[in-house]
Amino acid sequence: MIANDQIDFEIKAGEIHAILGENGAGKTTLMKILFGEYQPDEGEIYISRKLVNFRSCLDAIDLGIGMVHQHRKLVPAHSVIENIILGHPRAGTILNISRAEKEINELCQKYGFNIDLKAKVWQLSEGEKQVVEILKALYRGAEILILDEPTSALAPTETEKLLESIKAMAKDDLAIVPFITHKLPIVLAISDRVTVLRRGRVVSTMDTKDATERSLAMEMVGREVIFRLERTEVEKGETILEVKDLSALSNKGLIALDSVSFSIREGEIFGIAGIAGNGQGELVEALAGLRNLEGGKILLDGQDITQSTALERWQAGIGYIPADRIHVGSIGDFSLVENTAMNYYFDEAYSRKGTLDYDKIRSLTEEIITEYGVLTPGPDTTAKSLSGGNLQKLILARVLSRKPRLVIAHLPTQGLDIGATEFVRNKLMEAKQENAGILLISEDLDEVLSLSDRVAPIYEGRFMDIIPGHEVKRESVGAMCAGIYLDEEEV
Amino acid sequence: MKIGSYQFKLEQRASLTGWRAASISIFAIVVALVLFSLIFIFAGINPLLAYREIFSYAFFNPFGLPLTLNRFIFLLLCSCAFIIPYRAGLWNIGMTGQFYFGSLAAFGVLYVFGIGGASETQISAWLLIPLMLIAASLGGAFLGSIAGFMKGRFNVNEIVVTMMLNFITFWLVSFLIKEGGLFMNPGGRGESFELPNSLRAPIFLDVTFTIIIALGAAVLLFYMFARTKLGYQIRAYGKNPEAASYAGISKFRIPLLVFIMGGALAGFAGYHYFAAVPGVYKIARNYGFFGDLAFYGIICGLISQGNPLAAIPVAFLFGGLSIGGRFVQGKLGMSFGVDFALLGVLMITLVAFQFFYRYKIVCFKKQEEHLDVGIPH
Repeated sequence: MIANDQIDFEIKAGEIHAILGENGAGKTTLMKILFGEYQPDEGEIYISRKLVNFRSCLDAIDLGIGMVHQHRKLVPAHSVIENIILGHPRAGTILNISRAEKEINELCQKYGFNIDLKAKVWQLSEGEKQVVEILKALYRGAEILILDEPTSALAPTETEKLLESIKAMAKDDLAIVPFITHKLPIVLAISDRVTVLRRGRVVSTMDTKDATERSLAMEMVGREVIFRLERTEVEKGETILEVKDLSALSNKGLIALDSVSFSIREGEIFGIAGIAGNGQGELVEALAGLRNLEGGKILLDGQDITQSTALERWQAGIGYIPADRIHVGSIGDFSLVENTAMNYYFDEAYSRKGTLDYDKIRSLTEEIITEYGVLTPGPDTTAKSLSGGNLQKLILARVLSRKPRLVIAHLPTQGLDIGATEFVRNKLMEAKQENAGILLISEDLDEVLSLSDRVAPIYEGRFMDIIPGHEVKRESVGAMCAGIYLDEEEV
Repeated sequence: MKIGSYQFKLEQRASLTGWRAASISIFAIVVALVLFSLIFIFAGINPLLAYREIFSYAFFNPFGLPLTLNRFIFLLLCSCAFIIPYRAGLWNIGMTGQFYFGSLAAFGVLYVFGIGGASETQISAWLLIPLMLIAASLGGAFLGSIAGFMKGRFNVNEIVVTMMLNFITFWLVSFLIKEGGLFMNPGGRGESFELPNSLRAPIFLDVTFTIIIALGAAVLLFYMFARTKLGYQIRAYGKNPEAASYAGISKFRIPLLVFIMGGALAGFAGYHYFAAVPGVYKIARNYGFFGDLAFYGIICGLISQGNPLAAIPVAFLFGGLSIGGRFVQGKLGMSFGVDFALLGVLMITLVAFQFFYRYKIVCFKKQEEHLDVGIPH
């Protein structure tokens, strides 16, 4: 398939030039070509007016291209400094760690990075790991720095720091090329110019000062996008879910969830805002019956389901949309029909005496495909051939079609493009109007704030507060996600 | 790669139909036979003649064919015993142990009824034969369940557990049948007591009735995986255990169940070989040989890609070649081990050809013509 079709653009020294495009617009392919991982079938790359030909990443690195991967390519068990000098030409024979340390520290000071070079990489946060990758590229003498989704895994404070560092680097005549899927505010905040890709072609290159969020979104999607989702008010009914003093351990055996209590009523979206790794995953798994509790109680419609298995909870009316679509939410080698069966194999209406009614599941799958507009050749294709957005549509449809009493939506729009995000949010709103209770967990603050009837910022396994939707202030919730309560005057 | 004006390129296959897989396997078998003919040539024997002897004895000879069929039943049961856990993503390396345990349980029934070593018994065969069948299956299932339980409850690697149990059971058999053991043959020949004549398994048209159970198991398993709820759950667990538990499929129940089912079939193979095959009717002195042969269940299961129906022809071929190989070795005066060497070459070639399950070779002519000469079509 042609992923990149006649792409032309240029990057100037000292410029921050964002590449913007939805999933499947050809960003990854372009990035890999620029970094020498793929060879273009046609076309040429010039660096400083010289025609270059990358046979591998090494050629690209030698010519001053640095890459900061979204999925970090670091050795977790090694220290920061070891990771930075790994593969450095001067580290070939005898290591001069102290000299490297001095030089790296200079780089850190120059661009405002604050990192302990002796720390092991596995101990670092996502933001710190990214800093390691940036330092690694800079230390190898990169003049053009490609950043893949630079802010996707960062906390708000980390994002701000990164943006400052990026600006400092640009002042030093480095060219910075961030590739971004959907964080339009970031594009507007830092870049000097922006190139928008759609379906493998450059649709436009413009100066950022001439662009707005709306115009960029239009260029990306090719049509007008409605940004503000109207939160419809629904009469709140009975309490569906009641959680009392729920505690659970993380996989490392540490307290991840510390006495959390809340309840959700019919027709309500309860949003949990927070940065990844503050107990959201554990909370979701505890509710779905996939994690043992340290203490606490879970009531669904007044019934105690604390001891129920995952299957019993499905049958009791919990519908869980997991964050990890590929490893948890679907089975890649299974057909779409078999994937639909994941939420239906236990349903009496779809089986007879231990035999699954595949015909019925197939027609259900066909309905889902048409109703939700899943792009696929047919119900017999494998799930792994679907794109992220289409897979999410399938999972969402599969779960919502059961008409669950409680929907648990964990990062439902993560990694989706604008069109699919809009779709998923609308479907959650529809479920709310049909009187389901919805638990929405998201790292996208704007998403939580615009959808939720009540918002609970989570930090280190505790709710900082539970705030009714109309009283929410963005700044104070953002601060609470970082564990800080703002004074009223500061807001 | 270029040859003349043609260019060859490897391409990944998007999908593989059953027939395409079968034709690749048949092609692999032909290649294996061609390769193995080198051994005959080095031994100064005309390979065509050797193969004619092998195939005619194994598949057409009135003495050879029943031997082939008995081995086929044994291999098919072991293949199914491997396939059930395999579809759940688990590796049963313990068919050997489960097979021994099944044999011991079957003979244990005789011991319990006090007819160990007696040449006749008054107790009805209608009672004892079903009891021996059930005992053999339960014995195998018990040994299997240990691995399944350990996997499900404590996530202990099933390969290690089944492998270790093989050794334990091997020596347990030895302990029971050799000098002083409970099942010792009165003659003290290092084998178990013999089955009374009246308890020999019924035979129809030179074939023991166990063939019905073996074929039935393969067909039922195929149906189970294709249509039933349980089969779906096993497959889901096998392809993605995380997603399976998300969907409410028990991480404990599935490993336990597949090992119980697999163990039961391997245990039943124990009944088949030591209590149903004509001319044996005892736990033989060379019981280790049949234990090793049980490993061929892994090979047959893998070659048939976990499809119980495909395991039928594969087990038949392996059964026949092992019998025919042994025969030709004696007849043509070759050195020891021709049968296992032949199975070995066949196995390696079949495994190597699985490469073509995922890739195909595409041939271009210079004029951009797109000829698909996949090996094999």
